[in-house]
Amino acid sequence: MTASPAEVQVTVSERPELRLIAAVAKKEIADAVRSKWFWLWAGAFAVLAAILASSALPGSQVAGFGSFGRTAASLVALAQIIIPLMGLTLGAYSLAGQRETGALRFLLSHPISRTEAFWGTYIGLATALFATVFGGFGVAGVIAAAQGGGADAASFVRIAILSWLLAIAMLGIGLLISTFTASGSSAIGTSIFVWLGLVFLGDLGVMGTAVATKMPVSALFISAVFNPVEAFRLAALTAFDGSLDVLGPAGQYAVDSFGESLDVLLIAVVAVWVVAPVSVAWWRFSKGGDV
Amino acid sequence: MITISDLTKRYGKTAVVDDFNLSIAEGESVALWGPNGAGKTTVVRCLLGLVSYEGTITVNGADARSSGKTVRSQMGYVPQELSFYDDMRVVDLLDYSAALRRIGPDRVDEVTETVGLTPHTSKKVRELSGGLKQRLGIASALLPDPPILLLDEPTSNLDARARDQAIGILEGLRHEGRTLVVTSHHIEEVGMLVDRVVAMEEGRITVECDPTDLAEQLGLRAWLHLILENGSAAKALDVLQVGGFEAKRNSRGVLVEVSAQGKGEAIAALQHAGITIEDLEVWR
Amino acid sequence: MTRVGVLVAVVAVVMTLVVVATATASASTQTPLQPLIDAAAPGSTLVLEAGEYEGGVTVDKPLTITSTGGAIVDGHDVNSVFTITAPDVTIDNLTIRNSGDSLDREDSGVTSVDVPRVTVSNNVLENVLFGIFLRTAPDSLVVGNSVGSKDVETARKGDGIRLWECEGTVVDNNTVNGGRDLVFWFTDRIVVTNNTVTDGRYGLHFMYSDDARIEGNNLSDNSVGAFLMYSRRTHLAGNIMANNNGPSGYGIGLKDMDDVMIEHNRFIANRVGVYFDNSPWSVDSKGWIENNLFAYNRTGMLFQPSVSRNEISMNTFIDNTEQVGTTGSGNFQGNDWSVDGVGNYWSDFAGYDADSDGIGDIAYYGQDLYNSITDKHPELVFFQETPAAKAISLAAQMFPVLRPKPIFQDDNPLVERPVLTPLSTSASGTSARELVAVSFLMLAVGVVAVAFPSRRRRTANPTEVGP
Repeated sequence: MTASPAEVQVTVSERPELRLIAAVAKKEIADAVRSKWFWLWAGAFAVLAAILASSALPGSQVAGFGSFGRTAASLVALAQIIIPLMGLTLGAYSLAGQRETGALRFLLSHPISRTEAFWGTYIGLATALFATVFGGFGVAGVIAAAQGGGADAASFVRIAILSWLLAIAMLGIGLLISTFTASGSSAIGTSIFVWLGLVFLGDLGVMGTAVATKMPVSALFISAVFNPVEAFRLAALTAFDGSLDVLGPAGQYAVDSFGESLDVLLIAVVAVWVVAPVSVAWWRFSKGGDV
Repeated sequence: MITISDLTKRYGKTAVVDDFNLSIAEGESVALWGPNGAGKTTVVRCLLGLVSYEGTITVNGADARSSGKTVRSQMGYVPQELSFYDDMRVVDLLDYSAALRRIGPDRVDEVTETVGLTPHTSKKVRELSGGLKQRLGIASALLPDPPILLLDEPTSNLDARARDQAIGILEGLRHEGRTLVVTSHHIEEVGMLVDRVVAMEEGRITVECDPTDLAEQLGLRAWLHLILENGSAAKALDVLQVGGFEAKRNSRGVLVEVSAQGKGEAIAALQHAGITIEDLEVWR
Repeated sequence: MTRVGVLVAVVAVVMTLVVVATATASASTQTPLQPLIDAAAPGSTLVLEAGEYEGGVTVDKPLTITSTGGAIVDGHDVNSVFTITAPDVTIDNLTIRNSGDSLDREDSGVTSVDVPRVTVSNNVLENVLFGIFLRTAPDSLVVGNSVGSKDVETARKGDGIRLWECEGTVVDNNTVNGGRDLVFWFTDRIVVTNNTVTDGRYGLHFMYSDDARIEGNNLSDNSVGAFLMYSRRTHLAGNIMANNNGPSGYGIGLKDMDDVMIEHNRFIANRVGVYFDNSPWSVDSKGWIENNLFAYNRTGMLFQPSVSRNEISMNTFIDNTEQVGTTGSGNFQGNDWSVDGVGNYWSDFAGYDADSDGIGDIAYYGQDLYNSITDKHPELVFFQETPAAKAISLAAQMFPVLRPKPIFQDDNPLVERPVLTPLSTSASGTSARELVAVSFLMLAVGVVAVAFPSRRRRTANPTEVGP
């Protein structure tokens, strides 16, 4: 080492720098690819999707009708369960786990701002989720097609994209959980509780309330659609079925009252869930609390 | 170079750093010394902007709170223990650290060579011994060739040999003119590294002095456990007590209270009396 | 046909050709068709050359009007394009377009008034309010036509094909898209075969028409596939009813239908496969539903609870959200779910077949907690297929105390899925290829997204390190 300390003056901008965000994102992606959790999730999703696709009736057997609509419906149900669990736990563990091991302190001891570290982490994890979701749907699609399921490829892609949006919405909620919890294990515990709420208890609660209070279908639809998992399901159903009127009186209400703008409404709900939790998480993380 | 004014850090109502003031000049080497929980690690974390705090920290005129990136770009940080990124290879970890500082791979190779990690670059972090992990931490901190190095308990988790090697590396860094801030509770290990010792207790500075004066300043005492030749314990007690030492019997040997810097005096007294010391331990 | 008749016909054809030639010579105007009809001899054949003709014509004598291809008869959006007032008229191989749009006048592409033996064959009907509307025309033929509709709101649409008192008529191999219904009133012994009806209200609509034979039709993407009302001894076989998802959304709706036989049909992804409303109606009549496939419908079969006397056997029920349901919670009984010891195949049958006779050793019970809740609270259908809904059903399966009273039981369920004969499809090949391509692309994009950033920047080889 010959350089004297005075010679080294790296110019640093206090403003967010893309290259730093990219460096953290790349690191997160590489971590994900190395981690057994990533492969467990990706594998479980792909295998389950493949089983669903292959258990559907071959399209040629039912004549002119690609049984794909059914495959897609099952995929949506599968995505509803697995993707929130995946996004929530991944997000919740990321910051909390790094905080626990000291990795976060090491990262932030570099000339990098909290904002850069946060969005780098988010983008990296979102990319890993993208690979999981698209890989799983890709496998399912190949198998469905091999079964002769004539599918509308465009709506299949739409559902995959919606699934990814759900995944990153859940990632945002997970990161928010991460900013509240000190240890990785309590973050995972909290995220599983939130998952139960979003996937099961929310719907069950609306159902119970509907039966107990005889609430009008409008109230039922509105209270259900606040749930990002529900908004995702409805948007995905519209993507391949074109209409929600198959969902009984409440679905009919949605179609009648929102018409063409129903799609926009559902996407908007998903979009709000994609943007809002992660923004709050970012605000909480970047305001400079202890790590 | 570093100015810390009225630094206070509270967790709830407890202040772990309480009205702490310190200036460190360029090229100066300072040890923050104190027992666990004295607040020395917290001071380092404040410097790095890892925790919120009250008060002001400036580094080369830049405020650590509002210009954190600028401040950190001048500092290399060596964590107490690299207990993370276990699955990363050494070279990948250093590449990552370098990427976060816009530094090229040539510099990574150079630093790897400097700390003697070159044969281990393909290993995963989890495969490294404590000493090699410490060197990895130092290598990462040295990547930007920073004017300031922050070292958190650099010797605490190392065996004797690794400790010597680490201290050797740090001495080299000090002689290159870098500003060193070292936290430790083994003052005799880092004492030779620093120009000044800042002793802390419960978040406050108790003593600030030259390392050689520290024991005096604090009135530090230690117990020397001497294992003696059979049958010479009684004689040794006599010799020591006559010499003004506080001493008592202890199984095969004697315990004698000494000042932290004056262990040799007791030994010299015994040798002078012709008593053979077979072994010794320092008790604190 | 007499020799004179042949001669007259030949002369008529020659005259037509001359007229057509002069008409096309005078460029953009359309040739009036009525004078050509007036000039044609009764019982002759009028062959139209390619070109455009003015419609709004009346055919008042037995006549065959056909073309060598490319003849277009234009009604100019007024009245019907062809009105037939004589028996034994054939309208063949024409493009018939632009009828009026008055529902009161029942403007049609081809209409007939109280004359037997009308033949409407191989025509293309475009922008017509009613396509083919025959009144009191027994023993007619409606074959090989392609019928479109006017682009107006549903309430103002006419029927693609409408037959009134046309007993013994054959409706075969027509393609109807976007109209209201194919509706048959008081038309006994009609044969409806190999038609494709899509994007309409009711694919087929029967009113008071006995002894109909309905075979090989594809009734898809309508509001209702076939709505059969007040008719007897209707025989439906080998039809496909898919994606009929309107507000009622039945593959087949049965209203007061006696002695109906429904066999070898496929009901796919409808809101309801077959809906039984008071059918059979007469106390001495029955209904037979055999060898059909019910797959992926919201409800495979939906019954009014009071319905009885149906024999339901050898059907295949696959993954209908609700295999069999009832409207409301009346006492549902009196239907046979197995005949001569043979029941139906249920994809959710969890029993076993120890004696390997192909019949399950325990009964199949129609009892699903979520479905029993939605029967009483239809608004909760909104949550069908959600993890929450499935959790409700699963909980009831695990804890018998939660199980609802079964709405029916099949004592002899089939354990093996009956073999389905594949039907040839044309479209699915290309879309499957498209899906494969898209899926591989998605897979590749996913892999690249993580593989590219996570690739190692370099190998960690100490020998690469410079001195």
